[in-house]
Amino acid sequence: MKVSLFITCLSDMFFTDVGKNTVEILERAGCEVDFPASQTCCGQPAFNSGYLKEAKQSMKQMMRSFRDSEYVVGPSGSCVGMLKEYPKIFAGDSEWEEAAKDLADKSYEITQFLVDVLGITDVGSTFKGRVTYHPSCHMTRILGVKDQPRTLLQHVKGVELIELPVAEDCCGFGGTFAVKNADISREMVKEKSRHVSETGADYLVGGDMGCLMNIGGRMRREGKQVEVVHITEILNTH
Amino acid sequence: MSIQNRESFLNNLAGRLHRPRRTQGVSRPDWSVYPQYDVLKGITQDELVEVLEKQCEAIHTDFIHTDRKGLPKLLEETIRNYNGKSMIVSNDSRNEEYGLSGLYKDLDRDLNVHIWDPRLGKGNQVIAEQADVGITFSDITLAESATVTLFNNKNNGRSISLLPKTYIAIIPKSTLVPRMTQAANQIHEATMKGEEVASYVSFISGPSNSADIEMNLIVGVHGPIKATYILVD
Amino acid sequence: MSVKIGEAPYKERITKGIENDFMREAVSSAQGRFRAGRLTRAEELGNWEDWRQLGEEIRTHTLENIDFYLQQLSDAVSEKGGNVYFAETAEDANHYIQNVVKKKNAKKVVKAKSMVTEEIGLNDAIKDLGVEVVESDLGEWILQLDEEAPSHIVTPALHKNKKQIRETFTKKRGYDQSDDPEELAAFARKELRKDFLAADVGITGCNFAIAESGAITLVTNEGNAEMVTTLPDTVVTVMGMERIVPTWEEMEVLVSLLTRSAVGQKLTSYITAYGGARLEDEIDGPDDYHLVIVDNGRSKILGTEFQAALHCIRCASCINVCPVYRHVGGHAYNSIYPGPIGAVITPLLDGYDDHQELPYASTLCGACTEACPVKIPLHEMLIRHRQILVERENKAPMSEKILMNGFAKWSSSPAAYKISTKLARPALTPWIKDKDRIENGPGPLKGWTDVRDFPAPSKKSFRAWFKERESDSHEHSK
Repeated sequence: MKVSLFITCLSDMFFTDVGKNTVEILERAGCEVDFPASQTCCGQPAFNSGYLKEAKQSMKQMMRSFRDSEYVVGPSGSCVGMLKEYPKIFAGDSEWEEAAKDLADKSYEITQFLVDVLGITDVGSTFKGRVTYHPSCHMTRILGVKDQPRTLLQHVKGVELIELPVAEDCCGFGGTFAVKNADISREMVKEKSRHVSETGADYLVGGDMGCLMNIGGRMRREGKQVEVVHITEILNTH
Repeated sequence: MSIQNRESFLNNLAGRLHRPRRTQGVSRPDWSVYPQYDVLKGITQDELVEVLEKQCEAIHTDFIHTDRKGLPKLLEETIRNYNGKSMIVSNDSRNEEYGLSGLYKDLDRDLNVHIWDPRLGKGNQVIAEQADVGITFSDITLAESATVTLFNNKNNGRSISLLPKTYIAIIPKSTLVPRMTQAANQIHEATMKGEEVASYVSFISGPSNSADIEMNLIVGVHGPIKATYILVD
Repeated sequence: MSVKIGEAPYKERITKGIENDFMREAVSSAQGRFRAGRLTRAEELGNWEDWRQLGEEIRTHTLENIDFYLQQLSDAVSEKGGNVYFAETAEDANHYIQNVVKKKNAKKVVKAKSMVTEEIGLNDAIKDLGVEVVESDLGEWILQLDEEAPSHIVTPALHKNKKQIRETFTKKRGYDQSDDPEELAAFARKELRKDFLAADVGITGCNFAIAESGAITLVTNEGNAEMVTTLPDTVVTVMGMERIVPTWEEMEVLVSLLTRSAVGQKLTSYITAYGGARLEDEIDGPDDYHLVIVDNGRSKILGTEFQAALHCIRCASCINVCPVYRHVGGHAYNSIYPGPIGAVITPLLDGYDDHQELPYASTLCGACTEACPVKIPLHEMLIRHRQILVERENKAPMSEKILMNGFAKWSSSPAAYKISTKLARPALTPWIKDKDRIENGPGPLKGWTDVRDFPAPSKKSFRAWFKERESDSHEHSK
């Protein structure tokens, strides 16, 4: 099966291991992975800030980049969730409407792709540690991916999965919100960090680097020892 | 009675909706789902009684199950438990039917029993306000939420279930339905047929309460402080 | 009062909210209880999504035919001996109600909790006549004694603790007992009972008006709305024009959604359907009845992309799941409608000028949209507001516009994007600590790094790694 990787700008520049792990997991699952190098950003930073015109420019670039792909898979619920919104955004735009629908239809978040498309619930990895999972808001509420990451984690040998209290609560990232409403964002991430500590877990795992960068950055500032990892790291450890 | 300022107001709304004014011919569409009819679907009357009894606990309401023969005695006990010295009762034909007229006469010897009397005018409210106990029959009883439905009228003022310190509802088993859906359905049908529906319909589920102070549940605020349902076979 | 409740600037309100420890604890614990209650009730039903679907369909149909249903409603109320007044503005509504009060030579008016009367500032209008007006919902009464605005649309005094309430009762009403909530409530019962009995006019809001029969449905727990509609000889209902349903059957569905979503109850203690004058020989209820239907800016929302905001049934479940609300409290929104629904409708009702920050007071986490029992796409509407603020209202800061313009150029040009993946780390090098983090970021990063670390860009981008890997494997295969 041919899969095009949608790396997301954050993982491209900041968290390159996430991309590497994603590629390796997909290859081990028997996929042939390519990387359309003309891809950029899904447009969410501009779209969520109200800059529709600007957002559309990056969205068009994404549609051009993945035009020939069979499947598009990315390691982020939020960014893939953005691709899924394209048809709504380009509805009535005769030039782009179809491309938007095409991209949305063939795009998957990595855990969603593994479980729903490939039918894999056990990737055969081993990872020792007490792990708690933060279900990011866009992954669960926009994309509707709720059980897939948990299913995969439950099958990893050595993982002890501990429920995060009020897990569904937002961590306070919200893109530009973290800067624009820094005070509120601070209170939210403090609360999330406290909840993570309450679990006594060694690792906080999630499927969105934006949220993990926020929670991890806060916990590091607080001098906490909990390690923050993207789910692909756990799924790619042997 | 008067309707003022309607035409310009509604014309504006039609304009905002970018279409001509709709004055007739609108009817409800078929909805894609009707989940309200699935609740407690197909269960027996006895099972509904169980649902009702269980829900009474959740709404801080005492529940008593009896038959017609046992009703007068249990009702009197309940009144005495409420330390009721005075009470107000709806002027309901079912009082006679359920053998309560005699009980009220008997009780009136040492307690103060007032049967709602339209001729007394506002005097009824004054009595209700001072009463320890208010007693009415339930017209439709909703098992799911443990709710008694009262069609208030000239013989059954809503003050009876509202102003006294405590409230007792007598529930004929035949009035039991799964939920509010069936009650709303009955009233809707009656309205469609042009039948007169009571000017005031009360759906009462237990005693009054509030969570306005630090989210603590306080049972008994403006309406009755305690409530008992007596289900009669 | 009106939609807007104060003059303090946004930042100040946020700080005040965040620093109010009691309020935050109260809100946090209340949210926990609301959430648990709502989820239990939803689970019990088993098919909650079908209920939401039905709720949405009912609201959509009703709003699309609102002119028809309001006509039907007003005819039915009139037939039942009631007067109906259509008020385009807050002033119209207040003026009409003032006249009703004056005609009765009323000395005292009792009210049941109603958000629309807060919105139009009715209490002040009545007080202007020299007539006493008493709020009878426990929470509203506490706020009235303290001259404060509600901070929540269902539990308006959520931000106050029992000690503060005791003090208020002592100072304003000579209360001399403890701060036990039961005792406080018993005192309120005793005091307000006198008001109910003495009132000349009763005023309520409206949860759902039933068009087919002209009945007004009120959903309460305390029994105060029943007092207000039973004892005075004159009763006025004030309803926002959108609070209408076609028949009893839709009322029932929406009430089921409302009580579960608002307070986690199957039904509240009192669901009351009234309206019109009392019938012959009836003693309870008014002989003089008025229904005031209020527009006050709502019609401007009809026929726009925000129309679904009028579907709101005021259950507050969006408020109860909102993490932003939890940390800043209701007053930070500076509107009688706080939380996500407040952030959506406040600028629509009262304009952007005084409320332009509200659409940004959300992480767009979507918890509100998920909780809404009538499926209003709240977070999407917040994005739409932001678009309007940027494009039409021109209220975005210049720095942001420049940034976003840069974003568009960067993200639509693969070449520019690729260069940035190489330059990000060198550009940030002066701020990088321990090789992998930034503690004191420059420019827009500062807001971030004030409270948390920012990661340093990787030395090598993913795309560079992938390219190398590809050429390696090509080498290999050769």
